[in-house]
Amino acid sequence: MRVLVIEDDADLRAQVSHFFSDEGFVVDVAPDGEQGLYMATEYPLDLAVVDLGLPKTSGIDIIRQARKRGCAYPILILTARDGWENKVTGLEAGADDYLVKPFHKEELLARARALLRRSGGWTQSKLESGPVELDTAAKTVKLQGEPVELTAYEYRLLEYLLLHAGKVVSKSTLVEHLYAEDLERDSNVIEVFIRRLRIKLDPEDKLRPIETLRGQGYRWILPRK
Amino acid sequence: MRGPQTDSRKWPLRLSLRTRLLLAASVTLLVFIALCGAGLENAFRDSALTAQQERMQGLIYALLGAAEQDDRPHLTLSNDQLPEPRLRQPQSGLEAAVLDESGATLWQSPSAGHDLPVVIGPEVGHWKFERLGDANRFVLSFGLRWISDNKTPHRYTVLVLETPDAYEARLTVFRRTLWLWLLAAAAALLVVLALMQDLGLSPLRRLVAELRGIETGRQSHIGSLYPRELRPLTGALNALLRSERSHQQRYSNALGDLAHSLKTPLAVLRGLDSAPLSEDLRRQLQEQTGRMQQIVDHQLARAATAGPRPLGPLVLLRPAAEKVMTALKKVHADRGLQFELRIPAELQTRAAVGDLYELLGNPLDNAAKWAHSRVRLRAHQNSTTLILEFEDDGPGFPERAEQLLGRGVRADSRTPGQGLGLAAVAEIVRAYEGTLELDRSSELNGARIVLKIPHQAVTR
Repeated sequence: MRVLVIEDDADLRAQVSHFFSDEGFVVDVAPDGEQGLYMATEYPLDLAVVDLGLPKTSGIDIIRQARKRGCAYPILILTARDGWENKVTGLEAGADDYLVKPFHKEELLARARALLRRSGGWTQSKLESGPVELDTAAKTVKLQGEPVELTAYEYRLLEYLLLHAGKVVSKSTLVEHLYAEDLERDSNVIEVFIRRLRIKLDPEDKLRPIETLRGQGYRWILPRK
Repeated sequence: MRGPQTDSRKWPLRLSLRTRLLLAASVTLLVFIALCGAGLENAFRDSALTAQQERMQGLIYALLGAAEQDDRPHLTLSNDQLPEPRLRQPQSGLEAAVLDESGATLWQSPSAGHDLPVVIGPEVGHWKFERLGDANRFVLSFGLRWISDNKTPHRYTVLVLETPDAYEARLTVFRRTLWLWLLAAAAALLVVLALMQDLGLSPLRRLVAELRGIETGRQSHIGSLYPRELRPLTGALNALLRSERSHQQRYSNALGDLAHSLKTPLAVLRGLDSAPLSEDLRRQLQEQTGRMQQIVDHQLARAATAGPRPLGPLVLLRPAAEKVMTALKKVHADRGLQFELRIPAELQTRAAVGDLYELLGNPLDNAAKWAHSRVRLRAHQNSTTLILEFEDDGPGFPERAEQLLGRGVRADSRTPGQGLGLAAVAEIVRAYEGTLELDRSSELNGARIVLKIPHQAVTR
């Protein structure tokens, strides 16, 4: 998952950025509105966390511009101005949720995960598809009720595929959204992770949850519950 | 609390300027007209009396001219030579007589009857004019000494008497004409005065209309040009409005900046509790940052409450409520909540926009957080109060719900911020002299919050 954090306070920016990277997100950060607007409209994002009081370009303007240019990812507002007029203005401009400073790490991450689930069309915190069950809060995966041990990379890949269940996801998209900071941009790595996932989730090769579309990418094909 | 102001005032202060001016002008005019009429009437009466006297005097001279001595020898008059024909006609109202020294009648005109009044004659060579109330006559008498042919002097009194009918008739006609004209003049003057007042007061009326325009939000300042006397007032009002608005703006910006600069470091401190710290340190950090947050939130919410704004614009309630509901629907999109809004389209209040959003946002947010599936907002007003009623089908308030109105107290730590939201609402409601009630919704079976805001607070 790739998240953009636009926050002008260096300490808070670093902190929020750590919260997300600790959770396995790919994190982009912007210290002001101008850079934030550029990243918000040009980067392949899954989520943006936008502070409203920013230098150069206001958070509201960034949200408006991003929506105007067709960016559909969820946006979470961070604001110190806790008045309802501000919240309503931000949500009207195109944000999906707000969080008033100061906040707990858990609250921020829970809201972020909920927004990601919602944008993928899921309403529960557990993503269930066929015999596979992924708990976004506990970060655990079960297969027919039995826990499955996944590495952090594998978990991120599975979460992304499940959140985009039914849609074709290209290898380059996966690289950009999941591993951009950690690995060379080599799509062969993705193939390796896909193979491992297939083995762990479908040891007998009966379910075939991940379909490979030659030249296009992958698709999670099990039905959502 | 102040009571209704008009009741405690004395009646002259309740009258409009126009009524006061008209009343004062009418009283002045009436007194003036009455004095003027009385003066004119007196002057006319004096002049009519003098004329009467002069006429009677002429008659006495004419009578003396026609008088002759008889053989006794006394003064007498021949009826053929009377200078005034009315003296010959009985009951004509004009009579003449000659009296001797003892007051006995020597001669009387044929017009005189037997009831000639007793008159005490004047000294020789003197005139005496009087009005005899009993006999209803004017009497002019003249004392003279006549030396007869045998050189014996005799003293006589010549009298002329006339009934006052003609005099009274003249006076009546004059009086009628006089008062008729005076009243007509007074009426015309009053009309002119009223018109002048209208003209004079029209700038004030225009000013009041402009102030209403500002109150209802149709205009932002007093725009028309006013007479010199009012210009300092309109100038000062415009300056006041401008400074109030810019003050509000600066105040709100400063609060926003203060919130931002306090809460961002607070957020960083909060975030530190996930760092590797000893349990004791972590607990202390959480406690202290929690306290700081409560204080900052509470004080900022209090400072942000604008309170009643008599010259602020009227704000429609429904669009604001719809905006808040749309925002909350978005935030709770995955829960499929059913929001219900029942607010008459024309319902409006003069609360500050920021306050209104807090009054709507916090209870609705609270209801949305706790509701299973339904949230309802109803608003209506009666002659004195605006009533907002928020309901949900959640678990309802805990037993000692009033504690939620204290700062930072939460009904349940799972859902952050509830206590503060309602405390902020309680603060604003207090500023508007209203009330906040927490109880159970009888229809939805969850929590119910009722806000009552008196109109008086926002319109005075």
